[in-house]
Amino acid sequence: MTDIRIENVTKRFDNFVAVNNVSMTIEDQEFVVLLGPSGCGKTTLLRAIAGLGMADDGRISIGGRDVTYLPPRERKISMVFQSYAIFPHMTVYDNVAFGLKMNKFEKTEIDKRVRDAAALLHIENMLDRYPSKMSGGQRQRVAVARAIAMRSEVLLMDEPLSNLDALLRLEMRAELKRLLQEIKATTIYVTHDQIEALSMGDHIAVMKDGQIQQYDRPETVYDLPSNRFVGGFIGSPPMNFMQGQVQRENGHVKVRVGNFDLSPAETMQPLLRSYDGSPILMGIRAENMETLAQPAQDALQVEVLVVEPLGSQNLLTVKIGDDLVKVATHPTFRVAPGNDVWLRFPADKIRWVDRDNGKVLYPAS
Amino acid sequence: MTTVGETPKSAVQVSPEVKAIHRRMQRRQQLGRAVTYLVGILISLWVLVPILFITSMALTTPAEVRAYPKGVLPFIPLSTETLQFFLNSRGVLPGLRNSVVVAVITLILSTLIAAPAGYALSRFIFRGRDMFRLSILAVRAFPIVILSIPLAVVFLRAGIYDSVYSLALMHTALALPTTILVLASVFSSIPYELEEAAMVFGCSPAQAFRHVVFPLVLPGIAASAIFTFVLSWNEVFAATILTIQNRTLPAQVLVTLNQSSEPYQFAGGFFMMIPSLIFIFYIRRYLFNMWGQVSK
Amino acid sequence: MTTASGIKGRKRVNWTPYILILPSLVYLALFFAWPMVQGLILAIREEGALLTLRSEAASASTVAGQLPRGMQVDILDQRANPIPAGADGQGNLLTEVWYQVRGETTDGQVVEGWTPERRIRVRESDASGNPATGTVRSILSSSADPLTPIHAEANEGSEILGKMEARAAVEILGQATLEVWYHIGGKNGNETIQGWVPARYIRPLGDDTRGRIEAGDTSQFTTRYIERMINDRFFWPALRTTLLLIVLIIPAQFVLAIIMALVIQAELKGSGLFLYVFSIALGLSDLAVGIVWYSIFTQSGYLNSILQSLGLIDAPITYLSADTRYWILIAIWLAEIWRATAIVMVIIVAGMQAISREVLEAAEVFGANLWQRVRYIIIPLLRPSIQVALILRTILAFQVFALVIVLSGGDIITVLANETYRQYYDLQNFNVAAAYSSLILILSMVTSLFYLRAVRTQEEAIE
Repeated sequence: MTDIRIENVTKRFDNFVAVNNVSMTIEDQEFVVLLGPSGCGKTTLLRAIAGLGMADDGRISIGGRDVTYLPPRERKISMVFQSYAIFPHMTVYDNVAFGLKMNKFEKTEIDKRVRDAAALLHIENMLDRYPSKMSGGQRQRVAVARAIAMRSEVLLMDEPLSNLDALLRLEMRAELKRLLQEIKATTIYVTHDQIEALSMGDHIAVMKDGQIQQYDRPETVYDLPSNRFVGGFIGSPPMNFMQGQVQRENGHVKVRVGNFDLSPAETMQPLLRSYDGSPILMGIRAENMETLAQPAQDALQVEVLVVEPLGSQNLLTVKIGDDLVKVATHPTFRVAPGNDVWLRFPADKIRWVDRDNGKVLYPAS
Repeated sequence: MTTVGETPKSAVQVSPEVKAIHRRMQRRQQLGRAVTYLVGILISLWVLVPILFITSMALTTPAEVRAYPKGVLPFIPLSTETLQFFLNSRGVLPGLRNSVVVAVITLILSTLIAAPAGYALSRFIFRGRDMFRLSILAVRAFPIVILSIPLAVVFLRAGIYDSVYSLALMHTALALPTTILVLASVFSSIPYELEEAAMVFGCSPAQAFRHVVFPLVLPGIAASAIFTFVLSWNEVFAATILTIQNRTLPAQVLVTLNQSSEPYQFAGGFFMMIPSLIFIFYIRRYLFNMWGQVSK
Repeated sequence: MTTASGIKGRKRVNWTPYILILPSLVYLALFFAWPMVQGLILAIREEGALLTLRSEAASASTVAGQLPRGMQVDILDQRANPIPAGADGQGNLLTEVWYQVRGETTDGQVVEGWTPERRIRVRESDASGNPATGTVRSILSSSADPLTPIHAEANEGSEILGKMEARAAVEILGQATLEVWYHIGGKNGNETIQGWVPARYIRPLGDDTRGRIEAGDTSQFTTRYIERMINDRFFWPALRTTLLLIVLIIPAQFVLAIIMALVIQAELKGSGLFLYVFSIALGLSDLAVGIVWYSIFTQSGYLNSILQSLGLIDAPITYLSADTRYWILIAIWLAEIWRATAIVMVIIVAGMQAISREVLEAAEVFGANLWQRVRYIIIPLLRPSIQVALILRTILAFQVFALVIVLSGGDIITVLANETYRQYYDLQNFNVAAAYSSLILILSMVTSLFYLRAVRTQEEAIE
């Protein structure tokens, strides 16, 4: 049972607060992704867990053991670094065996583990080579092999795929996922790539300004973002946000968006009532709008500004009120810039956002 | 599962033993820092105190220089008498002039010859490039001593012995390898894309060099020129061997060492150190360019 | 060095880089490679060691044999040859000028003939400065013939037309410049060699029938200079001291340099200032540093001043004297460490900065403690830097020179570079000086190769 508990951890650099009072729990054998833009504190948090930069405040425990002030080597973790940090003066074999040697394993055990790890990463035939003669992808495999050879119950990964080119990244992503399912370590994985996060993590912690914005399953983070930042950070294209005005019409709340009145879902009615007469943000994902070529009931007429054929879909840019909105359509939906289309907004796909604090409004469940 | 991390602060119960570990670690860190500072200050004193000694000898009266025991407090009385005595001694001013002439010729000559080679090393891949680099490195590793004797004999035969110009030729040979390597690394620090951009916008390669590269490398070239100046200024073996009448300052001081008084020697020692002290200040940024990258 | 960035590769042969490196190549060939070869040659080749004897008194004639320089020979005969046209310019030929004169001989005849210039005192010259008239000189030597013979040709061996008395007036008709050749004989081993040589190679002794070979015309490989170097009374002390200093100085420098590097790498506030202070000595000449340490160790210097003011001694101690060699060694040791540790530090700091931080962190995460990180990661990765610093330092240590002169007066403690200087400057033995400098070169190369092997770097490891 190797869960990781992070309680009120704060880390400062001079006056800059990199990690601000963060608490989270990572269950045994779970794969958690720390996701966020650069400078959000995700790497700092990972390093605090690794012991590479002690937390200024708060407490970290691994498997029930308080490790807050322990040096890295006493934390029983292993790690994959962003630059791989392969020891350039050692062969692949010695690199993979390094941690085992430092922890004084027996020779036969070291050999067995090195070969197992190498086999898992398909680098058995490179064990005698030096890293300087290897490609980025190969070094990456060595770095991962070195980490998993330790068989630590906690595996930390700091943007392990960010130095690979796009195609290789796609390949390694799938391979890493398979591997991590196999070795069953509790894993914390730092990335700024939301696709990596969505495709790999059991849970995603979205970070911004040293704080966790949302910590949830990938589909939840995608579908039910906790705030405007999460919605706008995750997804490609990110969630659209439009200015709206809440109005009350004989007891029923309506929101005026552009020159169109929307009826929010029934469940939202009580919540929105308090916004009566004030502006609000409406959020909706590009693929959740229905696009029609002809006028229809409840459909908003808009002019198409840009058409971007992406193969799997056609992405339209339209203007609603003052906001530019991205709309995903079927690739067979043919439309030219300047044409009009009609959009329909399914009420259950709309997320209402408080304009002042950016929080997405959800009915208490 | 969906706990967004903002539990109130008081909820954390830090165990006493963790607190103790933390305190111990902090104390150890502080101790380590204090020890490092202490060591750094001790080494600084080791470097600085002898300089302070010679400076205070040079900047006082000759009587004070001869006095015993010397006051450990420096500069009492503060006077330029000793320095004046040194500068007015026979052969010192001509030596000073010769030293400057030799050093200036050396730095001009070595920069002019080394700059193209440095540029070639940093910008082109050509057959024999590694050979050239290696031989430059090797040349730098050869002792000065072994060059001076044969060059003296050659210069004697050629009738250009005992001349500041032939000494400058020799000093240029000494400075050239380092200058080439330093300038190559200075050029390498300017991305070639900048030159390409200049050429895209209508410069010829020469113009691109003149308008884009040259202004950017100027500080680096200046640093290497200062380095060359000091190398020539300091060099004493070849200077003593290659000159008789036209001695440079170090050669003059060395040759007259046995007949000279302590005020003369100390003032001379101090005087010869001045350019080096200034030099280190100006080339700090290039320190690692100059010696650091030797292994690469 | 960054070679990867900004390099343009081309398939077609591009001559530009070659043109750019040409000046430096030419310069280094001219003022580096060539003098170095010359230096080695000077040490092992004796110029003019042998004199070639000819069968006739002409340089084109067949070789009769060779005799070594310095040998005593018999002068059997001599002859003066007219110098072939165009050869007048050879300044160092031993020549004789003969005048063609007309005058009255002892038997009352007026003859025209030749006599050496030394027998005639010129009285008048013509407008163009050529001698026109003169008188025969009197011969002071009592044993010699007081009369001056007049020869038919400008040659001692030619027929004598008549003799003139001293002070007889003569008309000078013309003159000829002759090169003098001696017919000499000498023993080379068991066989006696005889032959003709130009007179300039021979210095006649006493009565002109004996002579010594002053110089030869052929050089020869010799171990003389090396033997002279080795047999010099300063050679072994110099070699011993040089090696001893290297052994004493270099380890201390590396320890100090690594400590300096660690202080700088600790990234404390003010480490920039530390770097500046630590590298101050980088630009100091060994002469200036010698003087600095002389001011400390001299009898009325700072060391004694401090000790006395602390009451630790009653009278100044003499450190730098022949009786206290070990103190001189200590002073040189301290001065060298003071002066030359900075360069080692710079190289090591640069090497440390090149080690990626993540690599060190990886070692930490995978369980290496501080000592293991130093042992398994830092030292191996510093190896190329250490190697370079070792080579550079050793080569520089072989050249320590002015510092030793200042602190020891130049002969109490002496080193190889010092001896090179002495042989060249004080004793004017260029060849022995060259032998010393060649020895320094060889020692430098041997130690460099030793380091390259001993501190072998994993080639592939250096990215």
